[in-house]
This record gives sequence, structure tokens and C-alpha cells, in this order.
Amino acid sequence: MSAGAGDGTAGGLEVRVDRIRCVGTGLCAAAAPADVLLGPDGRAVPRHARAEASERLTEAAEMCPTEALTVHLAATGELVAPLD
Amino acid sequence: MTTAHPAAPDMPALVPLHCLRHAEPGPPRLAALPTGTPVWVVTRHADVRRLLADPRFDRASLFSPDAPATTLVPNLLDDPQAMLNLDGEEHQRLRRTVQRAFTPRSIARWRPWVGSVVEDLLDGLEAAGSPADVVGAFSRSLPIAVISRLMGLDGLDHERLGRWSDHALSATAYTAEEIQQAMQEFGRFGQQLVDERRKDPGEDLVSSLVEAADRTEGVTEAQLVSLVCGLVVAGHETTMTSLGNALVYLLSDGADGWARIGGSEADAAAAAEQLLRAVPLGDQETAPGLLRRAVEDVEIGGVLIPAGSVVAADARTANHDPAVYPDGIPLFDPLDTPSLTFGAGPHHCLGAWLARMELELALHGLARRFPALRLVDAPDAIEWRRGLLTRSPLRLTVAW
Ligand code: HEM
Ligand code: HEM
Ligand code: SF4
Repeated sequence: MSAGAGDGTAGGLEVRVDRIRCVGTGLCAAAAPADVLLGPDGRAVPRHARAEASERLTEAAEMCPTEALTVHLAATGELVAPLD
Repeated sequence: MTTAHPAAPDMPALVPLHCLRHAEPGPPRLAALPTGTPVWVVTRHADVRRLLADPRFDRASLFSPDAPATTLVPNLLDDPQAMLNLDGEEHQRLRRTVQRAFTPRSIARWRPWVGSVVEDLLDGLEAAGSPADVVGAFSRSLPIAVISRLMGLDGLDHERLGRWSDHALSATAYTAEEIQQAMQEFGRFGQQLVDERRKDPGEDLVSSLVEAADRTEGVTEAQLVSLVCGLVVAGHETTMTSLGNALVYLLSDGADGWARIGGSEADAAAAAEQLLRAVPLGDQETAPGLLRRAVEDVEIGGVLIPAGSVVAADARTANHDPAVYPDGIPLFDPLDTPSLTFGAGPHHCLGAWLARMELELALHGLARRFPALRLVDAPDAIEWRRGLLTRSPLRLTVAW
């Protein structure tokens, strides 16, 4: 399962960053620059309160070396990426 | 492997690494590298983290023609094609081709298998009988066995591998010619491996790397070969060193924790994390930290670092910053703030989860199998293997 386009989650996602676990690799921001940026303190920050499903966003969550970045369904909080 | 330098008779014996004292963290201060080059040393946890994540401090310009000398003897880590020495987009491109194989989820799949390598080595140790050298029979073998299997190198003789990594990072034991020859040999080996797996891919890490790199525009063959060679050795010395030094602590001052480490994998994982934070890998004789160069004027920790300066991120001092961590080694307390042992920012250690898992399973397995394990000699009688960056016990005779 992935949060790919067209699975009915458009605009309904929330990107969360655990700012304590984040080690500032920038891998997420490189994968999904429209959704995530590196803040001035070198930690990732979601660009918007809500995000749309995309392969790039899924990749951003899958790349994170500390699992600090996760993508959830905004309505229920259910984790949609990274999944095994 | 690297020649050991037993302490000269008139020198005080080296203390175990967990006994080293740590400097008080403070604002960046100016010091000098062994080459005489001035270096700004950054020591507070927050400053080190910021420095390593700030793109205005890079790696590539440490190797530009105008760069001041940072090493007395160039070694393989100075290869400008190595992933550690690329920055920005070029670095991200290469890193992304490997990252997927090293996420916590990917590494967790190797857990049963790493566990079985640990058990095999423990069987060997037990069969050899008490007393035995736990470095030779266990901590030195584990990282090589793990990375060999991961990369499908089961046929490779470990002596050759040892010789290559020796030559690559030895400061004094070999002539420049010998080093160059060994490195060429190692490079040819890497190229052959890449060619082989490209033609006949398998389930191993090299095959998936080649496949990912061939799909990614802009990754050069030289970068791919350097990466493959780097992976063969990058985790080997570091993991062996942390395991050896963790054992020195756990069989002496930290002996109270041994039973609990053997009793639960979760406790072993917490202990591994604390030990990685608190016990340094070496004496920091070659450099006071992870090196970077300022590409423009940058203020850090209240001090202006001028463009062109060499800067050292002193993770070891930062890992003992009293603003972040309590005193001592609270073995079973979770770390609220990640340690800087694996760095931070774009070059944050690729193999961090693999190294953590190896350490955790090794300590747990050893403590469960040998609950009464003890050191035969006093810690101040330990002979040390002294590398370029690391120090770990050359031998550790244990009894049970
Ligand atoms: C306890 C064991 C280990 C320690 C303490 C350690 C430490 C580090 C540190 C501090 C860095 C960052 C260097 C810098 O920023 O200047 C690093 C990078 C790296 N490590 Fe490790 N490491 C360990 C094990 C491993 C293992 C097992 C592997 C591979 C399987 C590995 C592969 C790498 C690679 C490829 C990089 C470069 C990453 C990049 O430039 O993007 N390491 N390591
Ligand atoms: C991707 C490339 C590589 C990376 C990122 C890497 C990373 C590292 C790191 C972070 C350390 C510990 C440094 C410290 O304690 O501050 C280390 C030590 C070491 N690495 Fe690598 N490494 C790489 C390639 C290699 C290669 C190609 C070789 C050998 C052929 C090698 C052999 C060693 C050895 C022998 C040490 C211990 C040095 C000593 O104390 O003698 N590494 N490496
Ligand atoms: S990939 Fe993970 S660790 Fe790296 S910057 Fe993004 S959230 Fe932080």
C-alpha cells in the first residue's frame, strides 16, 4: 500500500515531523520539495498543514533514516507512509 | 591489520575509552590540526548539530586546490569521488540510490540473519573454551561477516580485505607506493564486482545498488565503484571498535549491567545506544572532530567563522554536553535527544541502523550465553590497537 495519487486521499494528508528524531539529512526535502523544507535550524518542516498524496511524498517518508517524517490521513491520523 | 603501538615503557598506560575526560562544551574555539592548519572546534550539542546540517559548511572544498592541509598522509577517505566528499545535489543523488537499503525498516529485515551470525560466532567461542580472546573470535569477525553477506562477498578472503583497509588508512606502516598499489587493487576489485552484478544480478546489496545507480541519471561509474568499496570497509573498523570498547566497559566499571543486557533485547538496545553515545571511538589525535569547511562567513554559537576556515564538529564533547545529557552512563535510560555519534545533516551515517543492530545483538547474545563473563587481565593491562582515528583492544582475554 502506498499513498499514491488516485486512492481517494487527495488533500487529506498530514505530514508530521518528529523534530527531536530528525537529524537534518534533507533527504525528505530533496524527495518532496513541494511538501517539506529544511528549516533554518536544520530540521525538516512541513510546508503546508495539508498535503496531497504523491509518490514523492511517499518516497520522502520512506527515505527518512530515522523515521522522523510520517504521513497520516488527516481525518483519522492513520499512518499511510512509511509502510513496510 | 593496523600495527599496534604498545605504550613505550616511560609512557603512562592508556586508559580505556570510557574513562577519558571530556572538555566542557563552550563557544567555538580556535585550535590546530596536526598539520598546523588552524581549525575552529565546535563543541556544544546544539552547535554541532547545526553545523553538520548547514550547507554553508561543506566537504568538497576541503579538497579544493586552495585548501589548507588537513591530513599528514592522504588516505582513501580523501577520495573526492567518495560519497562523504560530495555535497549538495550531487551528494543527494548518490545517497538516494543507497538510502532505501539502509532505512530502519530495511535493516530490520536482516535482524534474524544478523542474530544467526552472532550465534555462530558464539558457538565458536564456546567451543574454543575458557579463557579465550573475545576480540579475535567475536568482535573483529562480526562486522566483516555481516557486510560480506549483505553484499554477497562470501567468497572474498578476509585477509585481502584487511590488507586493503589497512593500507588505506594507515599513517605510517606503509610507503606511499604500497598504499597506492593496494588502493588500485581494491579499486579493480570494486569495478569487477560492479561489472559482475550488473551482468548477473542477485538479491544482494551490490546488485540493488548497481540497478538503482543505472536508473539514476548523473551517478558516475567512479562514484558507484567508490561507494561499493566504501561500503565494504566503512562499517568494519567503526563497528569492531565500538563493540570492543563497549565490552571493556561492560566487563569492568559497567559490570552491573551485564545480567540485564543478557536478559532482554530491549534493554540491550537501550544500552547499545547509550554506549554509542558515551564511549568514544578513539583519541581524536588526527582531528578534533568531523571536518568541514566554511564556504562563506557563518556565525555559529555566537562566533563568526570566516569563509574558508576549516571547522571540526566535535561530536564526542557534544555527546557529553550537560545541557542535553545527564552525567555518567545511565545504561538503560532511553536517549531523549539523539546522540551525534553518527553525525547529523546530509552525511548522517548511512550504516547507523546496521551498526546499532549489530551492537545490540552482539551484546545481548554474549551476555545471555556467558552470564559470568569476566576479564582475565586488569583494564590497565590492555594492549591497544591504534588506528588512524580509532583505538580499541587488540586482544581481550575473557573467562567464563
Ligand atoms: C559504530 C559504527 C559506526 C559509526 C560510529 C559511524 C560513524 C559515522 C559518522 C560520524 C559519519 C559522518 C561523517 C561526517 O559527517 O563527516 C558516517 C558516515 C557514513 N557511514 Fe558510518 N559509522 C558506523 C558504521 C557504519 C556502517 C556499518 C556503515 C555501512 C554499512 C557505514 C557507512 C557510512 C557511510 C557510507 C557514510 C557516509 C554517508 C554520506 O556521506 O552520505 N557506517 N559514519
Ligand atoms: C564511503 C566511504 C567511507 C566512509 C563514509 C567512511 C567513514 C568512516 C568513519 C566515519 C570512520 C570513523 C571516523 C571517526 O572516528 O571519526 C571511519 C574509520 C575508518 N575507515 Fe572508513 N569510511 C569510508 C571508506 C573507507 C574505506 C574505503 C576504507 C579502507 C579501504 C575505510 C577504512 C576505515 C578504517 C580502517 C577506519 C578506522 C581508521 C583507523 O582508526 O585506523 N573506510 N570511516
Ligand atoms: S529525512 Fe528525516 S531526518 Fe532527514 S531531514 Fe527529513 S525528517 Fe529529518
